[in-house]
Amino acid sequence: MNELTSLYRHRQLIAALTARDLKARYRGSLLGFFWSLANPLLLLGVYTLVFTVFFPQHVVKGPYPLFLFAGILPWTFFSAAVLESTTSISSNAGLIKKVMFPAEALPLVVVSSHLVHFALAMPILLIATTAFAVAGKITMHATIALVPVLMILETLFVAGVAMTVASASVLFRDLRDIITNLMQLGFFVTPIIYLLDNITSRPLRALLRLNPMTPFIVSYQDILFFGHLPGISDSLLMVAYALASMALGFTVFERLRDVLAEAI
Amino acid sequence: MTGGAGGRGSGAGGDDETIVRTTGVDSTHPTPDPRPPTPKEHSFAIAVENVSKNYRLWGRRSQFATLKSALLKRDLKLDPDASVPALKHVSFAIDRGEAFGIIGRNGSGKSTLLKIISGILKPSSGRVTVVGRVAALIELGAGFHPEITGRENIYINGIMLGLTRREIDRRFDSIVEFSGIGPFIDQPVKTYSSGMYVRLGFAVAVHVDPDILLIDEVLSVGDEEFSQKCVAKIQEMKYRGVTLIFVTHQLDQVRTLCDRALWLDKGQPHAIGDPVRVVDQYLQEVAGNRMAGSEHRIGMDLPAPEAEPESANAAEQAPMRDPLEEERWGSGEVILKSVSLVDGKGRELVALGAGTAVSIEIDVEVRVPQDDFVFGIGIYHADGNCVYGTNTDLEGLVSKRLDRDGRVRFVMRSLDLVAGSYRVDAAVHMRNGRAFDYRRGCVRFVVGSRVHDVGVYRPQHEWLFDGGIAFDAVDTLKRDVPAPIAEYIRESESTPPPSKPNRRK
Repeated sequence: MNELTSLYRHRQLIAALTARDLKARYRGSLLGFFWSLANPLLLLGVYTLVFTVFFPQHVVKGPYPLFLFAGILPWTFFSAAVLESTTSISSNAGLIKKVMFPAEALPLVVVSSHLVHFALAMPILLIATTAFAVAGKITMHATIALVPVLMILETLFVAGVAMTVASASVLFRDLRDIITNLMQLGFFVTPIIYLLDNITSRPLRALLRLNPMTPFIVSYQDILFFGHLPGISDSLLMVAYALASMALGFTVFERLRDVLAEAI
Repeated sequence: MTGGAGGRGSGAGGDDETIVRTTGVDSTHPTPDPRPPTPKEHSFAIAVENVSKNYRLWGRRSQFATLKSALLKRDLKLDPDASVPALKHVSFAIDRGEAFGIIGRNGSGKSTLLKIISGILKPSSGRVTVVGRVAALIELGAGFHPEITGRENIYINGIMLGLTRREIDRRFDSIVEFSGIGPFIDQPVKTYSSGMYVRLGFAVAVHVDPDILLIDEVLSVGDEEFSQKCVAKIQEMKYRGVTLIFVTHQLDQVRTLCDRALWLDKGQPHAIGDPVRVVDQYLQEVAGNRMAGSEHRIGMDLPAPEAEPESANAAEQAPMRDPLEEERWGSGEVILKSVSLVDGKGRELVALGAGTAVSIEIDVEVRVPQDDFVFGIGIYHADGNCVYGTNTDLEGLVSKRLDRDGRVRFVMRSLDLVAGSYRVDAAVHMRNGRAFDYRRGCVRFVVGSRVHDVGVYRPQHEWLFDGGIAFDAVDTLKRDVPAPIAEYIRESESTPPPSKPNRRK
């Protein structure tokens, strides 16, 4: 539990560095934070076009873009945070080598600044949902209120993964390229653009269930789009993945911490 | 340039309790010297015990093996061939409030040692104990982000150094004032000149109020004015009892600012102790190497009370050196056989009255004739402050010949010092500072005075009153001065000043 107390101690640092990252990223750019939305919106547009115009598919009952949006936002949070955390330590080599700096803050700053993007994008999804509801295409669901709970669980999971890859990629640089490619694959082996229940092949479905991001995405879709509570097994899996990921992240980081300054 | 300072292990709540950080692993080989007992009250600020550090040579191909080994064994050691020793069995202790200098050639392990003390690096073996909040000035402004303003960077840098937001609020104005950044404080740091950058970095770091300040070569940056400001600030911190550790190539700073110095050579302590002596030994070694051994050296065969480098041992080093203790070092081609303080009649003195005419007489023995030589004199107060120092070179005397024994006399018509104990350093050295014979504290004397005025220097003076101001005089000699000293004073007051002396050239 040492790690958690040190996290608490560094909360101001993490908050300050997150604010710095966000400010520095958007200072001088015209559209500011909306750039962080550009990628999910682009994905949204492309897949809506593909599945409604080029290859018309009946993926879900209801407006497909809303379904897509529910999965793309949490996925983007996960993939962008993990990918960026691979370079979080080496791009701050000056801090690690020259300052007594708590290295674990660096991946966590990446995670928290992507969490801010995610949280800022959420209202857009809610506005879109409200618009569709007003148009009478769907009904608003009370389960939307569970979004913060899911976000907390997902953040824990993402933070653990980020700490693991951040520290490991200092010693093993190829990890970044491996992860870049894995993320592209991951987008398709996670039920984001399709519905898990539509997969008829049982072995394939079992395989997709093994993907730790699956219960998270499915649960977001459950509460945001379908309006029912996440399944028991999905809920338990999410909690388990979040805790296991944190444990792994802290263990790996703790083991590598002492050599980081030297290995950078 | 980036730069900065840090404070892991400090942070919130660190103000009230004492912070003790011990890093290091148990030695893989048995410790040669027994571990000094840990003082209960932490009289030391830093204890370095048998610390070694090996750097790994990095191969691209062994990356995965490295990761595996680091994960499984928590260590980067793969095979000993692939490692470079940077520090070998270094031990010493630094007292609270001490100013400690670390000198040595490039690559001798100075910065590694500093990083290990600061906690940035972990020793390969040995142990480091640090008591108190540490700030490290290893690179000024490390962690500044170019895109955001100086104001925002002060907050972030301060938090990195272990301050809370509220603590920074309180220090903010003083930081800005010290940095001299002025209205630029609300501009992005990328618009700053490198000098402004460094100034802001230094300003934040010294406002952390550390118990221990580690400084790596940063005093040499910035313009002359700011450099002086830094040195003044550091002296102020020393005054307030902050423990200071310098790594520097500026040997003058070590001589003037430090209480002790450590000379690291190829990762090992070569000498530790009085900064003037250690710096001088270091200069001699550097100069000796430059002369490529063609010159026959007599070496350290002086009849000196102590002239060899002591091994750096934390336990034995613990007591502070008496600043008046006699020390002697030098290469020995020319020897100062005797140094004495004599009055106008040639009598040796140990106590004298203020304003007495005295000379310092030095008997010189020449073992190897020299043509580059300087004689120097320094007078120090008992507290270690230099009262006056000069040498023949400073005063425009160009060395011509020194081929046989002789005598040097340094004649003072009137030694205008206030009451106190003083010591004299005498030296003969080359113009580059390499000493033939340096005798620290070779003469000690006490100045008595019929009045208890304060300070160091007493200008020749008298009080004159006009108009309606009048005083009665009492004999201060009888009232304030102990009888034996009073005798000296009475005697010296009756001695006429000596005739003009002959200078020997």
